[in-house]
Amino acid sequence: MISVKKVDNRPLNLLERLYLPEIARGLLVTTRHFFVNLFNPKGMPTVQYPEKTIPLPHAARTRTRHRLKVRADGSPKCVACFMCQTACPAYCIRIEAAEYPDNSVEKYPAVFDIDLSRCVMCGMCVEACPEDAIAMDTLEIPGGALTRSEMLMTREDLLRNLPGEAPSVLGASNRLANEYLKSKGEQ
Amino acid sequence: MPKITIDGKTAEVAKGTTVLQAAQALGIVIPRYCYHPSLSISGNCRMCLVEVEKSPKLLTACSTEAADGMVVRTDSDKVKAARRDVLEYLLINHPLDCPICDQAGECGLQDYYMEHSRAKSRFPQEDKVRRQKRRALGPHLVLDNERCILCTRCVRFCSEVTKTSELEVMERGDHSYIDLKQGKALDNGYTLNLADICPVGAWTSRDFRFKQRVWFLKRTPTVCLGCATGCLMEAHHNDGVLYRLVPRPNAETNTWLCDHGRMTYKAVRAGDRLAKGVIKNGLIELEPALREAAGRIDENHPAAAVLGSPWLSVEDNAALARLAKDAIKTENFCFDFPGAQGVKDGILINEDPAPNARGARLVKDAYGGIALEELRARIVDGRVKTVVTEARAAAFVRDAVKASGARLIVFATNRADIPPAAYATLPYACYFEVPGTFVNFQGLRRRAEPSVAAPEGVRPLWALVNRLAAYSGASLHLDSAADALKEIVFK
Repeated sequence: MISVKKVDNRPLNLLERLYLPEIARGLLVTTRHFFVNLFNPKGMPTVQYPEKTIPLPHAARTRTRHRLKVRADGSPKCVACFMCQTACPAYCIRIEAAEYPDNSVEKYPAVFDIDLSRCVMCGMCVEACPEDAIAMDTLEIPGGALTRSEMLMTREDLLRNLPGEAPSVLGASNRLANEYLKSKGEQ
Repeated sequence: MPKITIDGKTAEVAKGTTVLQAAQALGIVIPRYCYHPSLSISGNCRMCLVEVEKSPKLLTACSTEAADGMVVRTDSDKVKAARRDVLEYLLINHPLDCPICDQAGECGLQDYYMEHSRAKSRFPQEDKVRRQKRRALGPHLVLDNERCILCTRCVRFCSEVTKTSELEVMERGDHSYIDLKQGKALDNGYTLNLADICPVGAWTSRDFRFKQRVWFLKRTPTVCLGCATGCLMEAHHNDGVLYRLVPRPNAETNTWLCDHGRMTYKAVRAGDRLAKGVIKNGLIELEPALREAAGRIDENHPAAAVLGSPWLSVEDNAALARLAKDAIKTENFCFDFPGAQGVKDGILINEDPAPNARGARLVKDAYGGIALEELRARIVDGRVKTVVTEARAAAFVRDAVKASGARLIVFATNRADIPPAAYATLPYACYFEVPGTFVNFQGLRRRAEPSVAAPEGVRPLWALVNRLAAYSGASLHLDSAADALKEIVFK
């Protein structure tokens, strides 16, 4: 259904048709703002993004820049199952899988790139992840880059736990990873 | 002829047909794990249970012979409950490995769970029986005993198809697991079929391991060019890269595919793939290489010879025949390859390693030409001074060329194929990149379909032949592979 909104364009009155009074009125608004901001710069509501940002509230529904969670031994929690790449509607994730020689979880991402200039911040990758490995809770808003290559997040850019966060132990294949970590701790 | 009714559909089937086969003929799919049409019947997975009228218990469709007047139901509540229960049983000890398992996406457990069960497991994950995880067995496979559901397809394959019996079910009851017999190695040359027939991720291919998720793969039906058997197969590729080859089972030639045939795709992106011409040992752009080759042929037209190749398609052989007849205008051309034919190992691999000796014979029937012995003699006694051929076919005249010092101009896809005596080499697109017609040892026409694009600048062989002829001042009017086929009569 297309909704139609009728706009009532009332005819201009004499003062408006004279043109110059309206120009002067518009300039007055601009000039007032200029002088108010000049003498009270702190009152400006504008945020000089990306140099300045306002801290975001930490809500569960807030989707901000991605991160890859890290296990206790510093390895990525991601097992390169390609679920996020499959779910991604913007085709912005590129993964290359590789094999651990010793770790019983076997698979890890040798390459994990997210092209933020393509990403639509829909959060499907987080929902698809069976390993609780990817999250969008960094509270950083991507953008404000001068080149495309700055928008490309590599595995190293993405890998981090939040300050004070214990390594996540959720996930389908986590049993294997935990067993490996435990066996390494005992040795 | 017994008349059997399945889900209200009646059919008359041959004596000895099982209920599962009869259902398949009626278009009713009965789920199965251990049943495989080319292996003996085992009846151990219990997935194919169906309700048969007047039978007190459910029967396995795969091992029950159809009898006259039998009334079978595959959609009753009892059958549905049985399928759910069998799946629950199989999944009790199955690890939750799907994220790291290569089978995910083509896994029997995943598919049937979504189709027939979707029940939550009542068994805690911590109580799952642990078995040995990944272990490399043989040159091509990885075995994960934990994922195995003991359908014994692999055991039966090794004892019935390759008759090498490397595998066995060890221990009994819930201690059972699949393992190699003592003193055996899993290298029978057909091992990758195990990765195909394994309904779960217990057997996976080492070559394909973690390379690509199966749901990203595109499929192109094509033909194996590993030998003269000409097995039908499917090339799986994504984004212009080939990832694996799997068989297309058919009644005429093959149900399986040998390991050698499955690895033929490796040459396409090998490090020595030719994208430029080679003169002696130096790389050179294609056009100058073509000009040089044409110049050498033109030096002495009557002393030039063209040797076809059983590794080339009928189209490309026909284009070479046109080159000899219409451009070089010589009588010295040969499309006669008396390779030994016949299945060598009793399964698939042929005596003749070249895929298209029969196809080359069709070109000989259409264009004539001399026998291979005659060509060798003419090279040795100096009547032929330049030989144009394909790199692997150059081996047929190697000794003669060595004895006489004749100039060899070859077409090649990979540097490793180039014979040391070659003077000039021209790169051509292989049959994963361009279409081609082949004739296998039984005389069946086989079509190779392109699945990936050729490297930049690499063109099909018939197009190179067309250019060579143009440099020599003759026009062959070859605008497509089909143009070359005009005078070939397929039997």
